[in-house]
Amino acid sequence: MKEKIGVYVCHCGGNISDYVDVEKVRDVVEKEEGVVLSKTTMFACADSAQKEIINDIKENDLNAIVVASCSPKLHLSTFRNVAERAGLNPYHYVQANIREQCSWAHTDKPKEATEKAIRIVRASVRRVRYSEALKPFTIPAANIALIIGAGVAGMRSAISLADMGTHVYLIEKSHFVGGRVAQMGELFSTNEKGEEVISKLYDEIKKRDKIKLFTGAELGSVSGSVGDYKAQIKIHPRYIVPDCDMDKLKEAISECKTEMPDEYNFGLTQKKAIYKAYENCKPEMPAIEKDAFNPDQKFLEKYKDCIDLEQKTETLNINTGTVILSTGFDPYEPEDGEYGYKKAENVITLQQLKRLIELSNGKLEYNNREIKNIVYVYCVGSRQKEGENKYCSRYCCTAAIHAALLCRKKFDSVKGFHLYRDMRTYGKYELLFDEVSRQGDIFFRFNEDESPVVETANGKLQVKFRDILTNNEEIAIEPDLVVLVTGMVPRKDSGTVAGILKTPVGTDKFFNEVHPKLRPVETVIDGMYICGTCQGPKNITESITSSLSAAAKSNSLINKGEIELEPTIIRIDPEACEWCDKCAEICPFDSITKTEYSPDGQKGKTIAFVNESTCKGCGMCAPVCPTDAIDIIGYTNNEIESMIDGLIKEV
Amino acid sequence: MLKINPDFAVKLKKYGAVDINACYNCGNCTAICPLSEEDHSFPRRMLRASVLGLDTRIEASLDPWLCYYCGECSETCPREANPGELMMTLRRWLTAKYDWTGLSGLLYSSIPALIIGFVLVAIAIIGIGFAKHFNIEAIMDFGHHFELIAIISVFSLILVPNIIRMFWFTILKEKTKVPLISYIKGTWDFLLHMFTQKNSLKCENNIFRWLEHLVIVFGYLLLLFTTVFLNWFSTENTFIIWLGYIAGGMIFVFTFDFILSRIRKSKEINKFSHPSDWLFVIWLFLMAFTAFLVRVFIDTDLLSNNLWLYMVHLIVIAQWALLIVPFGKWTHFLYRSFAMYFKKLEEDSK
Ligand SMILES: Cc1cc2nc3c(=O)[nH]c(=O)nc-3n(C[C@H](O)[C@H](O)[C@H](O)COP(=O)(O)OP(=O)(O)OC[C@H]3O[C@@H](n4cnc5c(N)ncnc54)[C@H](O)[C@@H]3O)c2cc1C
Ligand code: SF4
Ligand code: SF4
Repeated sequence: MKEKIGVYVCHCGGNISDYVDVEKVRDVVEKEEGVVLSKTTMFACADSAQKEIINDIKENDLNAIVVASCSPKLHLSTFRNVAERAGLNPYHYVQANIREQCSWAHTDKPKEATEKAIRIVRASVRRVRYSEALKPFTIPAANIALIIGAGVAGMRSAISLADMGTHVYLIEKSHFVGGRVAQMGELFSTNEKGEEVISKLYDEIKKRDKIKLFTGAELGSVSGSVGDYKAQIKIHPRYIVPDCDMDKLKEAISECKTEMPDEYNFGLTQKKAIYKAYENCKPEMPAIEKDAFNPDQKFLEKYKDCIDLEQKTETLNINTGTVILSTGFDPYEPEDGEYGYKKAENVITLQQLKRLIELSNGKLEYNNREIKNIVYVYCVGSRQKEGENKYCSRYCCTAAIHAALLCRKKFDSVKGFHLYRDMRTYGKYELLFDEVSRQGDIFFRFNEDESPVVETANGKLQVKFRDILTNNEEIAIEPDLVVLVTGMVPRKDSGTVAGILKTPVGTDKFFNEVHPKLRPVETVIDGMYICGTCQGPKNITESITSSLSAAAKSNSLINKGEIELEPTIIRIDPEACEWCDKCAEICPFDSITKTEYSPDGQKGKTIAFVNESTCKGCGMCAPVCPTDAIDIIGYTNNEIESMIDGLIKEV
Repeated sequence: MLKINPDFAVKLKKYGAVDINACYNCGNCTAICPLSEEDHSFPRRMLRASVLGLDTRIEASLDPWLCYYCGECSETCPREANPGELMMTLRRWLTAKYDWTGLSGLLYSSIPALIIGFVLVAIAIIGIGFAKHFNIEAIMDFGHHFELIAIISVFSLILVPNIIRMFWFTILKEKTKVPLISYIKGTWDFLLHMFTQKNSLKCENNIFRWLEHLVIVFGYLLLLFTTVFLNWFSTENTFIIWLGYIAGGMIFVFTFDFILSRIRKSKEINKFSHPSDWLFVIWLFLMAFTAFLVRVFIDTDLLSNNLWLYMVHLIVIAQWALLIVPFGKWTHFLYRSFAMYFKKLEEDSK
């Protein structure tokens, strides 16, 4: 019990003292048990006031202090710091909020406000009498990160982490790295090729021993907590014999008869069952789509030095300090008939156009027809009034315009007609909009309530719409190709990963951060981060920015080999606990398990056990305990009860 | 249902349009335009119609003629799409459209054709001089008759039919029902605007330019009148002689200023000069200047030894009368005035 308490009541300029009689508050509180010093002060947070408090603590040998001022959100750490500088444990400080919770709320009732302030300060004084000296915990942490998804975001994050000294496991579900960027050909705003960007990142990864890359790899399960996660990784085989004769393998590929739609080209072409994503893909070793592959015995016999269908999925168990999610996005796939998709001839998506540009030489052709006029319909699968995707995908306006510029550059006289709702080539990308319109592409604006109609009429592809910019008149264009400018949606299977990691997803089904502004790459689970487009639509620059941020956050947490945690968690009274498991059931962080308790070697009993590294001190468990065996450190029963006494006592 | 034609904007470049595709339809140009009205809202709409290639719509519109090119829109345009110059371009294009001979379009859009036309006229005049054995009196006599005949035939064969065509495109084809009485009432507007161009005063700070313009129009009409009808070059009447001097002087002083400001590009309206703009001011200047000199030479008895001067004057006059007046910028004067008339008819029909 603290018996040498100092109390400071702050005017806050007039913010408090204009409505609350601070002198009266001081007079009443001065008489509380344990209070040996009480003062009012104009600005408690001012440098001079802080110095005065430090002096007071030292001179009067105070063992606890209360400052009655603003919200602890603002200055709790300021005054804890003051206490620490005076040699006092920071947890012997309590802040009474008489501004937000009193003077500002009751500007019309100064008398009552003063009375309420007295009660609040009195409660704080009583609470601080029971305060305990506390120290932050430290738990050991492995300086290792697991990154899930080797798109640009995951790859860049891995490189950055390795350079800061963290070991990285980088796992990629596909047999080839690079994600979507590898598919997008020439990119805004540097005009580099996606494949080149990926090759560069891959080479950097290969240079770093600290990065272990696994392709064809998936997360099996995860347990443990921050600093010490245990993950099981399943690595699927390529069914190719390592170090086999590459020429012979090439021969096998050319003889392979099984074909299927090539998802790398978004179904525009077929690929063989023994395949590489693209010629210079990384890693360069081909892989086999085993489910579809049905060669005859002769083939298998001939190529037994190269192909081994007996290879098995391997399991790898690893320990890691943090987890970074960078599983990326899927481009929106329009419904059948949405703007004529799969119904009218020559209607494709933007991602298909990007592949078509790469696959075409000299002239742009689709369905054996030379393409001269392209209509682009924007916001397909984004900003939907009816559908699930409510907001702007932000990359697509720029990507579509960049594609239109590419068409003009690479193929002779391909004209673009752009049907947009709002043009969102934000920031520097506006220059691309400027360029393509000056080159002669024409922009039309439609209203979301009157979407363009794409159909085949009399054997001709036709787009009809009302143009806001032309007096809302009806216009008809007969293009050679319609390109649907599709948005970004979460990966089809992102739910699986979310299920394993228990990371929350939003209503949009993208992964959710703790706070979009202040903590943009952290999740509510300590040591788990998200970056890139698994979090929401982003272009490459934005994906990389977040991936570097996740790397920095991750490294700064684990690089010392241990992690400091807030001590304000729960404590189990082993004598009182009877292990009914009610607390374990209610804990949202799965922090309570059971353990054997046997003091002085007698026959033990089962009691609850708290995982200090995952407990957040939220207190959900305390009220459900039937034997009152749970205390929340910093908010013990004694503290709370004494506060209630202080609050209800008449002034 | 509108059909678009992006090639139209490409074609308009020959008539002078600069960067119209950069327009993002913000409407600042229309907002700032002192002449744009609710029923005749421009220039954005004209710009949009041009970008989309809605040529039948432009052909039916009087709006390009209602613009006096103060250039405020071009100065305000955040995209530097030069809407003011587009309106000028459309006036050229419309001139070509109204012209049944098709020569306007050729001369506007092809510099080689323009040069050939001017050279041919010059050769024809020299040929006539040759046929008249370079006898000064015979040539001057021819000159005088030529002027009269040229005026009458250009009017009846080219300008009147073209104005009828303009009437067809803008009023008849659009099925505008005009009460008969309006045709008579509208003539006042027609004459008023033709001689005063008073609408251009609505443009800010335009008084000086309006005055210059007015002086040139009157100077030009006066010179035409004195040379053709009062036979300035052969008269002994001191009053007429001085009248001619004054008219010529007025024109060449002010056209000289017009030429200078086109060279300096000091005002928005002068930033872009199509060949037809240069030809118009330079030939007007040359016409007045050579006429002035011819009369000075007559008065100082030098002309008989300087036949070349009269030949030059005659060539300039012939080029002016046979090319610039029927097929060039001169017609703007006429079409603009008729546009005011037709606009009045249109309003009365509502
Ligand atoms: C048509 C189109 C054109 C574009 N053009 C441009 C452009 O020109 N410039 C630009 O800046 N941006 C462009 N973008 C955006 C760009 O593609 C993205 O910003 C970028 O791909 C995001 O990278 P990422 O690493 O977050 O995701 P992704 O590229 O999607 O990579 C995610 C990776 O994670 C892997 N993965 C997914 N789930 C798992 C799992 N469970 N386990 C293991 N691995 C998993 C995937 O296989 C993939 O390799 C374009 C996008 C589209 C659709
Ligand atoms: S970026 Fe453009 S196309 Fe994409 S959703 Fe936003 S407004 Fe629509
Ligand atoms: S101000 Fe310029 S950009 Fe705006 S509508 Fe007019 S011409 Fe177009």
